[in-house]
Amino acid sequence: MIDNDKRPLRVLVTKIGLDGHDRGSRIVAAYLRDAGMEVIYTPPWQTIAGVVKLATEEDVDVIGVSSLATDHLIVPKMMDALRESGLNHVRVVIGGIVPDEEKGALLAAGVSRVFGPGAARDEIVDFVDALGRQSRDARIDEFSETNP
Amino acid sequence: MTHTAVQLPLPGFEQARGEWRSQYSRHMRDEKPIRNRSGIEIQPLYSPRDWSGDRYLEDLGFPGQFPLTRGIYPSMHRGRTWTQRQLIGLGTPEDYNKRVRRIIGAGATAISLLPCCSGFRGIDCDEVDPVLLGTCGTVINTTDHMDRALEEVPIGEISTAMNDPSPFTLLAFTLGVARRRGIDWRSVTGTSNQSDYISHFIANHQFYRLSLPGSRRVLLDHIEFCRRHVPNWNPVSVVGQHMQQAGATPAETMGFTLSTAIQYAEDCIERGMDIDDVLRRFTFFFDISISMFEEVAKFRAGRRIWARIARDRLGAKDPACWRFKFHGQTSGVDLTQQQPLNNIARVSIQAMAGILSGLQSLHTDAYDEAIACPSEETARVAVATQNILREEARLCDVIDPLGGSYYVERLTDQMEAEIEAVIAKIDAAGGMYKAAEAGLVQTMIGDSALAFQEQVDAGDRKIVGVNCYQVEEDPTVPPADRPDADAMNRHVERFRAFKRERSQEQVAKALDALARAANTPNENTFEKVVEAVEAGVTHGEVIGCLRRELGFGHPLIVA
Amino acid sequence: MEAFLQRLRTGDPRTAARAITVMESGGPVADDLHRALLPLTGSALTVGFTGPPGAGKSTLIDAFVSELRKSGRSVAVAAVDPSSPLSGGAVLGDRVRMGRHTEDAGVFIRSIASRGHLGGLSESIQPIIDVLDVAGRDVIVVETVGAGQSEVEIVEVADVRVVVNAPGLGDDIQAIKAGILEIASILVVNKADLPQAARTVRQLRSMLSLRRETDRNVPVLETVASTTQGVAELLQAVLALAPRAAEERKARRRGRVHRLIAQAAAAEARRSIMRRNDEALIAILGRVEAGEMSIETAARALILHDGAG
Repeated sequence: MIDNDKRPLRVLVTKIGLDGHDRGSRIVAAYLRDAGMEVIYTPPWQTIAGVVKLATEEDVDVIGVSSLATDHLIVPKMMDALRESGLNHVRVVIGGIVPDEEKGALLAAGVSRVFGPGAARDEIVDFVDALGRQSRDARIDEFSETNP
Repeated sequence: MTHTAVQLPLPGFEQARGEWRSQYSRHMRDEKPIRNRSGIEIQPLYSPRDWSGDRYLEDLGFPGQFPLTRGIYPSMHRGRTWTQRQLIGLGTPEDYNKRVRRIIGAGATAISLLPCCSGFRGIDCDEVDPVLLGTCGTVINTTDHMDRALEEVPIGEISTAMNDPSPFTLLAFTLGVARRRGIDWRSVTGTSNQSDYISHFIANHQFYRLSLPGSRRVLLDHIEFCRRHVPNWNPVSVVGQHMQQAGATPAETMGFTLSTAIQYAEDCIERGMDIDDVLRRFTFFFDISISMFEEVAKFRAGRRIWARIARDRLGAKDPACWRFKFHGQTSGVDLTQQQPLNNIARVSIQAMAGILSGLQSLHTDAYDEAIACPSEETARVAVATQNILREEARLCDVIDPLGGSYYVERLTDQMEAEIEAVIAKIDAAGGMYKAAEAGLVQTMIGDSALAFQEQVDAGDRKIVGVNCYQVEEDPTVPPADRPDADAMNRHVERFRAFKRERSQEQVAKALDALARAANTPNENTFEKVVEAVEAGVTHGEVIGCLRRELGFGHPLIVA
Repeated sequence: MEAFLQRLRTGDPRTAARAITVMESGGPVADDLHRALLPLTGSALTVGFTGPPGAGKSTLIDAFVSELRKSGRSVAVAAVDPSSPLSGGAVLGDRVRMGRHTEDAGVFIRSIASRGHLGGLSESIQPIIDVLDVAGRDVIVVETVGAGQSEVEIVEVADVRVVVNAPGLGDDIQAIKAGILEIASILVVNKADLPQAARTVRQLRSMLSLRRETDRNVPVLETVASTTQGVAELLQAVLALAPRAAEERKARRRGRVHRLIAQAAAAEARRSIMRRNDEALIAILGRVEAGEMSIETAARALILHDGAG
């Protein structure tokens, strides 16, 4: 259908919740850009509804959420909202500080991985790349009759 | 500018040095140059060749004497130790009150209040998912909340730092509390610790609160109001912290911060304020990184440059205006999640650097700062660190003890050159306001942040436990200390009830007056903020009103 | 395809986003889709915003979009940012400057990377506009990369072109050099609360008066985007120009198609000539080298007569 391999991956790098530190997410955005991806970058304090709208309009493949304090606690709500809007194929990854005992709930809610602050550049880029390919494969054929 | 090229009359000096150098080189083949965070190359040894004391009076002076390099007061910490001002903020006003009374009981003479991130975002607690509230700061949206937070706290005697940006509702609440308790506003002392809207725009996303021109207006109103009605309050704190945390090098940070101070001073002069009146109440707020000597040099150079700027460039006549008064906070960015106990060592070094730099007040981070808001126990260790440095290491005994070190003096000169180059660049861009608007500063900071990260990634910049000396442990992130969910829900409910029960008419009138003032150049918006909170207007409502009238801030993404 | 088109016409944002993705990818699927869309286009007004960095374009667009919403119109914004020439990637940060509209379904925002395309926009910008048109958006705002030099595309695709300046950017001379005045339907001096604003307005007006008749009526407006001052007037000015602009749209689109064909022809000719190694080509190369034939004559011969004669 679409020649997916030639198109750059589109990744949303964002922060929901209340934390305002984005040094890490800016650096990750630069990593991904330098790896040839198109990064839609938002500053902190985005709302879940805003993120879903953005992910829809921008047709993103992957969402990277930068999280500190308790921000990750609302990510499952974001996963629900994405599913409700028909964005099941979009893969989500979290970067930041998440207490160990709360990681399980995030993975159960559909988050693909939680990166800690020491994660290496190549690890992040390779993983996001793989997620992006998965996301594209998971899309439904837009011209098929069975689309909702 | 200051540089001391040295003519040495010491006989035999060059020969001895030559011998050392050749032996050194034999041991140190293939040595790569070492640079500090500001990019200055660091030599293995410094000697009278690098600095001599023959310009002692012009470049250093004695403590309290122009150019104040060695200290802004004659007796410094030996006369009066630095103020221990620990930042506290968590949960409900009652949570804050409990903790602050404990540290006052333990001897603290100054307090600091950090509001919840929802406050920074400019919204009230009923506008956000409750699970996010109170994790990194205290939820204070009304005068009542402040009253409860400061119960039994003698605000007429103790200095309070309020860590909120414009329009400074926390001070407005505090003034309301003072009025209720019959305390004269002239006895209210402290600082509007986050009044530096330019640094927020650059590095702390405060564009969501107010537009840049709107923030400029509100700050000037705030300064004028405080001069008139709260004369012992410091309305201006020029903040280097956010920029350094965002990745600016120490030299860049000092350059940007001094440029911002120049911008604010010039704005005040343009408004017709008297420069001496205004500069007397300027304070600074900096991060202290673990690059110890670099930080000492940064602050000594900053002191010297500021004295000259204040006297010669801005024309202040009162020597009190030449003093670079600063609060230092140990830098959380240097702390690691891996092996968090190591952070105690890091904080000790950072604190030592700050003390040796001659700061006026100090906050030491808790060792779990990288993970969550500090617990009682870790906060205690942070305070003990300061006590040990003072009582056991006796760092207060000597003023500017590193002064005269060939290294430190040479590095101070070099940092001065770097800092002045940054100031010149900002001047060429038309000043800090324009530079921030155009994204110039953000670009420079972004470049420095990326460069630093690349060094860490490549293993050139070593961080123990992260890219060297790693331990096979899974870096465990313990459960975080969070506010009690029920207590927070009750707090929000009580707030909702308050909104329902207050006089809607008075609230509407006060908001109208605030909106009108925002649209009238000669009126004082902060005065109207103070009146509005008296009428029961909330934090979020004040900001919402000003955003509507003064403009919505717009983020500037520089990639 | 039929069902997809139906969904697109209802304005479903997911379908619109997918359609844009298809157009960006190009190829036969995109061509098919575009062919199917074309008869359905023609209702939307396209407004292009361009101007030098620092003029406050994004802030102005944010306020302009608010005005459009107040007037009851639905909006789409196509924000173009340059791709990195080194990596091919991009950081797209324009849409967050439209912070007022993060949750308004009546404002569809798409960030587009230029992907190496020169001209100020992107190669697929017209099909993208057509998608948004068919999706039912009343007004489509296009924001260019905006250096001002190669802005030919904005004339082709935008019905009304708003050129945004700000005082003190030193671009008064630049405006003439870059031919910016020629493309403007409306000139805006933003940050009009600055002291030098009046002078900038005067300079622009005097530059216009030196130009040909058709340009002299270009309105010069003043705005303070951060407080939305003057933006309602900007909307009125845009709407006033809309009917005339719609008439010219056909000619502009045709001009773009004409230019793109010529561009593609040149690329095809280049490929074909470079691929050749036959006798006829070699003979021609020899004749040019010997000075018997000029390069231009050789080129014409190869394209038109395939090398013979």
